[in-house]
Amino acid sequence: MSVSNTRSSMRFTCRSNRLGRKVAACLSVLQSLSEFAPSGHAQESPAGNVKRGGVIRYGHFQEPPCLFGGWVQQWYLQRQYSDNLVARSADAKIVPWLAESWTISDDKKVYTFEIKPHVKFTDGTPLDAQAIADNINGWLSNDPDLRNPTATPYLSDSFESASAIAPLRLQITLKVPFQPLLNVFAQSSQGILSPSALKRGLAVNCESPVGSGPFIVDKWRHGREVTFRRNPDYNSAPATARHQGPAYVDGISWKFLPDQTVRYGSFLTGETDAIYDIPAIAWKEANSRFPVLRHITGGTPLRLALYSARPPFDDVLVRKAFAYSTDRKAAVDTSFLGSLPFEGNGALSQSSPEYLRELGQSYLYDIGKANQLLDQAGWTERNPNGVRVKNGNPLIVRVSYSNAFLKPDGEQALQAIQQQAKAAGFDVRLQPTNPADFFAGKNLGPDDYEIVLLYWVAPGAEIFRISWKPDLNGESNRFNPSHYQDITLWDVIQKAEQERSGAQRTALYQEAERKIVDEAPVIGFTVLDVTLATKPNLKDVWLDRGSVGEPVFYDAHFDEGK
Amino acid sequence: MRGNDAVRIAAHRPIVWFFGRILSGLVVMWAAATFAFLIQCMLPGDRAQIIINVTSGNVGQAPSAELAAMNAKYGFDQPLADQYGKYMLQILHGDLGESYQQHRPALAIIAEQIGPTIALAIAALLIAWCIAILTTLFIAGRDNIWSRLLNDTQVFLATVPPYWLATILLVLFAVKLHIFPVIGGNSPIGLVLPTLALALELSGFFGQVVQNEFTRVLEQPFVTSARARGMSDFGVRLRHVLRHAALPGITLSGWALGKLLSGAILIEVVFARQGLGGVLVTATSSRDVPIVSGAVLISAGLFVLASFIVDLTYRVVDPRTKLT
Repeated sequence: MSVSNTRSSMRFTCRSNRLGRKVAACLSVLQSLSEFAPSGHAQESPAGNVKRGGVIRYGHFQEPPCLFGGWVQQWYLQRQYSDNLVARSADAKIVPWLAESWTISDDKKVYTFEIKPHVKFTDGTPLDAQAIADNINGWLSNDPDLRNPTATPYLSDSFESASAIAPLRLQITLKVPFQPLLNVFAQSSQGILSPSALKRGLAVNCESPVGSGPFIVDKWRHGREVTFRRNPDYNSAPATARHQGPAYVDGISWKFLPDQTVRYGSFLTGETDAIYDIPAIAWKEANSRFPVLRHITGGTPLRLALYSARPPFDDVLVRKAFAYSTDRKAAVDTSFLGSLPFEGNGALSQSSPEYLRELGQSYLYDIGKANQLLDQAGWTERNPNGVRVKNGNPLIVRVSYSNAFLKPDGEQALQAIQQQAKAAGFDVRLQPTNPADFFAGKNLGPDDYEIVLLYWVAPGAEIFRISWKPDLNGESNRFNPSHYQDITLWDVIQKAEQERSGAQRTALYQEAERKIVDEAPVIGFTVLDVTLATKPNLKDVWLDRGSVGEPVFYDAHFDEGK
Repeated sequence: MRGNDAVRIAAHRPIVWFFGRILSGLVVMWAAATFAFLIQCMLPGDRAQIIINVTSGNVGQAPSAELAAMNAKYGFDQPLADQYGKYMLQILHGDLGESYQQHRPALAIIAEQIGPTIALAIAALLIAWCIAILTTLFIAGRDNIWSRLLNDTQVFLATVPPYWLATILLVLFAVKLHIFPVIGGNSPIGLVLPTLALALELSGFFGQVVQNEFTRVLEQPFVTSARARGMSDFGVRLRHVLRHAALPGITLSGWALGKLLSGAILIEVVFARQGLGGVLVTATSSRDVPIVSGAVLISAGLFVLASFIVDLTYRVVDPRTKLT
């Protein structure tokens, strides 16, 4: 299929001419301004002469083993030094970044992107269509040095090829339509890296990756910090940014401060200008004294995945009974001291556009209903310890979790749930597992758990593909810890993925969302958030809306000499 | 001269003693290397699975093709004996393997982090000794309110967890009083609080050991003789008693250095200091075996070295001691 006859009348652009660029820039400023409204600490937009210079000292939580990759801790860093093909705005619209515009063929299988001219990677390699195609093909390849573990589960079923059909024209061909494609491209893990630099091998690239972003990785002092310096030639800011051209600050000192006392303490003493993840105990103080940014991540909330392929949770009545028997809202409120809200919708995060607010209070505590459902399911007898029994088997629920996926206060909430469920006759046994063992599969085997605590960050409802793709052709879905197999649900999800109309796609995703909540293979627990406290003199830091909420320091500047 | 006597004399020659220590050190190193290898093979869970899952931040069974590629890359699909042979050969060539997560040589990763850890451990050892000696000189053999108070303080410090003490010191002297920086980095001033957090516990321990011996030596005839010669009490304590009383403490210093190295790892995490601590915690939680086993091997080497130095010091402090 040639380019000419696949081009549709549907065209997305905001850089057709100079005037258009100015208008787009104005719109993007207005758009990004709106992003800060929910925090209650709206920061001023740069107006007139913005003071330039200074180095932002930022205190982050975890140090990743490589400066790019599939783990969200790597996305935070990659957002600073690489650019994406497209960006995602606060209202979930896909807007231009490296791609100035794009068209989608009528059969929804061919995407043609017009790439921004005169952009170079910071090693001098031209950023053209071929460079982007090389990146995308590498993500979907079997080369462990290039493979992208975030993009692969989304695209492996639909992706066919990426190629440069002209120096600045990129064509992506799909085997089947996949409408969330651009959302996937907007995530920081899909930042475009210099193909010349990638040839140096993973060891070198992990240490000093090369992108085209506003900052350049200067030095990684392992165990301490990564320093970034400004890219003086930066000319490829996304439409979500507040300005164009190089960043205002000279650089970033990205410090790794895993201990929350040190992290927040360094902020109080002025040793850092911004910190990530405000501790629960300091949440109120931080909100009263400093500008605080918060983004509820998209995809799934932190949720309890119930093993639905064998007893006792193969019975939907028992799944619902467990949900009703636990006052998860009280457990979360008490444990997180108000810093992390309860989320009753286990299917989808609040920040996903398809989120149904009425499902956010699903399965609120109702011990009467829990008992009634368990009786109805045949769990009518109790042993001397008060645990329900059916056919001689006690109602034991083993909960596997690891602090790799749970904040420290979350364990307290689980202990509360353990006690609450006892009243209904559940014998809840907690199985804390250290991260290494958890990644190795301990307490995660088919006979090892009834519930596991997990989440997956994504822009929106495209996460359903990851979670609910059924086991097909002998290939099991490793990302479905509930082992819930529902072909009708999968059909709805696939229809949504192929539906061009935004409204109808949302409706289909919401149909799937209702079904998931109704069948309760997952039960909501808490939202997942990214919080950032900044010093009052540091202006215009914002959180990306690709999915995770990475801090963006490109527009940031100090309002006094530093 | 009988054969047994000849052997005994030869064994007491410094050169024989030296080579004997080198040999026993090598045996310790081989045992540590073998132990590290066996541990990584015996730990539950597939190694390729862990690497894939940690890299992607996922859990669950990875596709068999991905597992096969990873097994081939790191040689996990080879027989165990072959893996062990290759591993030992690598070590003999000074190669500790490549980090599964950082994709860099484990030796380089450890080398760039171990300096600050050793500096912290040695600083803590010296400070612990200074505190222990000073307090012992003033309180041993005396029965007044100050000696009782200092004695109780030593007991308290010997039992307090360094991790807790570190947090208290950090909040009090850095966050609240602003006397020291919260993020000390590798600056000398940044070394003060981590050193104290480690040294205070050890000083309490050393103090109790030295004090008991000090009190016993104070009652020896040569002490009475020194006093009879007109030497001041402090002079007797410093010049005669301390030398004898310090011997058990010196013996413990080798052990203490090992304890300080492991303690430093925790303290570094609290104070966000560069060092082996952060790297080891991350490597352990992601089961990055080359780094963990490399650290075990290097720690064993340091321990052998520390024991050697302690033995030499022992001979300097007490020339009666034979090198055995």
